[in-house]
Amino acid sequence: MNPLLMSVLLIVALGVFARTMIGKIRLLQALQPAERVNHIAERVKNMLVLAVGQKRLIGRRRERSSGIMHAFIFWGFCVLLIRSIMIYGEAFQHGFTLPLLNEAHLAGYLYTALKDVMEGIVLAMILYAFYRRIIVRPARLHNSFEAYLVLALIGILMISDLLYDGARYNLTQLYHNPAGIHFFNNPRYGTEFAWTPVATGAASLISHLGMKANMALMTAMFWLHICTQLVFLNILPLGKHFHVITALPNVFLKSLGYPHEKPKLLDLEDEAAWEDESLGINHIHQLNWKQGLDLYTCTECGRCKDVCPAHVTEKPLNLFEFNDRLKHELLANADKVIQRFRLAATLAQCSDEAGAEKIRERMAALNSEKQLVDDVIAEDTLWACTTCRACEEVCPVTIEHVPRIVAMRQGQTLMAEAYPKELNPALKGLERNGNPWGIGYDKRADWAEGLGVPIMAENPDVDYLFWVGCAGSFDDRSKKVSKAIVTILQKAGVRFAILGTEEKCTGDFARKVGNEMLYQMSAQENIETLNGYGVKKIITACPHCLNTLKHEYPQLGGRYDVTHHSVFIAQLVTSGRIRIEPSLAGALTYHDPCYLGRYNEVFDEPRSLVQAAAKGVYKELDRCGRESFCCGAGGGRMWMEETIGKRINLERAEEIVSCQVANVAVGCPFCLTMIEDGMKELEKEEEIRTLDIAEIVAQSLA
Amino acid sequence: MKILTTVKKVVDVELNIHVQDGAIVEDGLQYVINAWDESGVEAAVQLKENHGAETTLVSVGGGDNTDIIRRCYAMGIEKGIHVDDPALEKADSFIYARVLQKVFEKGDYDLVITGKQAQDTDNGQTGIILAEYLGLPCVSNVVGIEVIDDTHLKVTRSGDTGDEIVELALPAVVTVDVSINEPRLPQMRGLMMAKKKPIEKMDLAALGTSAEEIGCAAPKSEVVEFMPTEKRAGGRKFEGEAADITAEVVKLLAEEAKVL
Repeated sequence: MNPLLMSVLLIVALGVFARTMIGKIRLLQALQPAERVNHIAERVKNMLVLAVGQKRLIGRRRERSSGIMHAFIFWGFCVLLIRSIMIYGEAFQHGFTLPLLNEAHLAGYLYTALKDVMEGIVLAMILYAFYRRIIVRPARLHNSFEAYLVLALIGILMISDLLYDGARYNLTQLYHNPAGIHFFNNPRYGTEFAWTPVATGAASLISHLGMKANMALMTAMFWLHICTQLVFLNILPLGKHFHVITALPNVFLKSLGYPHEKPKLLDLEDEAAWEDESLGINHIHQLNWKQGLDLYTCTECGRCKDVCPAHVTEKPLNLFEFNDRLKHELLANADKVIQRFRLAATLAQCSDEAGAEKIRERMAALNSEKQLVDDVIAEDTLWACTTCRACEEVCPVTIEHVPRIVAMRQGQTLMAEAYPKELNPALKGLERNGNPWGIGYDKRADWAEGLGVPIMAENPDVDYLFWVGCAGSFDDRSKKVSKAIVTILQKAGVRFAILGTEEKCTGDFARKVGNEMLYQMSAQENIETLNGYGVKKIITACPHCLNTLKHEYPQLGGRYDVTHHSVFIAQLVTSGRIRIEPSLAGALTYHDPCYLGRYNEVFDEPRSLVQAAAKGVYKELDRCGRESFCCGAGGGRMWMEETIGKRINLERAEEIVSCQVANVAVGCPFCLTMIEDGMKELEKEEEIRTLDIAEIVAQSLA
Repeated sequence: MKILTTVKKVVDVELNIHVQDGAIVEDGLQYVINAWDESGVEAAVQLKENHGAETTLVSVGGGDNTDIIRRCYAMGIEKGIHVDDPALEKADSFIYARVLQKVFEKGDYDLVITGKQAQDTDNGQTGIILAEYLGLPCVSNVVGIEVIDDTHLKVTRSGDTGDEIVELALPAVVTVDVSINEPRLPQMRGLMMAKKKPIEKMDLAALGTSAEEIGCAAPKSEVVEFMPTEKRAGGRKFEGEAADITAEVVKLLAEEAKVL
């Protein structure tokens, strides 16, 4: 083939591609820092399982067919990359092969066979993809021109390669190889065509065209394949198919140890941060580079919105659109962001105050003209999120939506002071009395009156602190759960105490609505109290408290071994300190709380406990485990009205009703409230009882 | 328009208030801005934001009022005055009103906004007495304030059966109800700036008056004693057939309650 033409094509295509990529990388470099290059072994494992293994594509029951489709296209691509190298080499050297993958080795034949079959499978998958997009039309898919273009290009890549091989077959096997075409022909393994059923099938379609036509077709298909591939390469970075390049690194760089990036501990005393509005995300340049890479990587597959409780109930939160809008805002401001980054470097070097002031002014002038919240993302969109993480759990490329939303809320609350004012009573209650209900802090331990529960101040010599939480202390329904836990702990002879009036809200909801000030105030007071008593082990019934105490307090110097009551009770059962006898009549199901399941990976213990206590059959909800559906109260939504669309708790309650059970177990006080309210609204509260795991266990103690 | 708003530091009534030997037990109590005054502050700040009014706040008595005055700064109040004096320890509404009168006369105010009552005593008199002392028109229980022009307001007064719309010539006094607005929650930026703002502190002498002049020697009313409220005993629930229950209740009313 023509080495000159190939050289020109490669130089032009790779040059343009490199130029695009350098621009994209420069923009990421200009964003905020993020610590992601560490624990390499774990990262490689993530990449192998999630990206190469396509776990979230083929692993989800609900999306299996499209998952398998995508996985084979992906694997096919990986296999074909090697073939591509050979084709490019063919232009420069007749009969070019790679080491091992040549006719001397069986590996060469095996690869040829694999490639051939893969091409056939990919082609079939592409046809299925067209069928899905045109005929099936799943709601989550966004049918764009780009999607069809890319499918068509992949189809052309497969067809051109198959016809290229088909023509080679015809020319070498039917027409006595007039052009001296190289093909594998090892006497031990036969000709390569004996290994390529799909290509030989293609050959039979064009064998009647004659030698000349086959010759021309072979050359045409060769160049068509090359050109399509190079065009494909160059359009990848321009749209949603950038994920072909960025998905692997994005998965490699995902958060470790905690399912997503923890909220940054903001330095609220930092006057410079107030000055340049860098508390939370207020401007597009305040994204960190990993968040930028997330935006590059979003494939608009829509799995996120499919599982999003806000989207499902017709709130204006559509996560892929959210990503897309941010991405376009980022790209539209690319030059400014890069310029600003350079100025920041100059500013760091600048020693005279007058000069520094000028640089700061120039930097401020480089802010995007659009308001991030309002012009780019609507307020209702930002505040609709319940931070349930369902989106992140299903995202095949591990995009972290929630931390970005929380950071944008921080910006809205701290800098713009534009947050939903309906949060004020809860925030004021937290500020004054340490609980969002605003009930006097001195009534916090009233629920425990007469139960013989020791208070830490009077009895600090205990093994465990029972962290009751605001709901367990003030909400009448949840107080019953607190009492049930006391019954169990006392029965097992656990040495525990509560903080009583010294306990305060962990600040979870305040942080999730961006009020970092109240969160830090509350957290610092709690940590002072806990450290003052030397508390090491904590049991709690509230997954929100659990999550905050366990994962967020270490940022402020509070390090505790925190256990959810379900896990602790399960340990009591295993160690024989309590025994459960089946007592709960009727069928039973379990609703996974987001902050217990998805955030803290507790799925099994609650199930084993309620199953042990149930006389009736245990049924799983349709949306359960990692894909459980939020009750609607997370992310501070507990304290906001839900005025748009259907109520989330109602959606969940309906699902529970359709499961036909007599009991639904929960492990979170907010889920308890929301689901019970949903049942009341459906007038099903008599037929389906909503119970906490602890209540079920307490009434089943042997 | 120059506005004077008043703020009283009161005990947080969300807490249980314990009484021992006729006095309130201070231990465990916390103090907050009187909710009605907080609404007054919010109303003043809204007039500042929407009509360019100047806002001054005065708080009388209470010891260390720094926190609550700073909170009002963070809400948007521009200037704060704190009048305190040992002579004010047993002040009643009349004495508070006299102090406020002196503060008013030292400034050049067009409008006084007070809460219609304070959540600790629930007297609801200070604002009205102040208007009387100043000889100014007064509208109480205000739930809406509109500006007509520099010298006229249109205020809405909530009555038992409906609203009264009153056109008010300035200077004047209004006392507001909590339903007039939802006071904003001071945010970090405001609280940080508030820390740097000075508070004008003065005693009665600095205010240009004396304990005698404002009547501290002979208050018109005096708290003699505090008494705890009786705890209500829990009710009793009867279940079963109506006839049986009726019989049982009648029996209990006769034998246990001895009212029949």
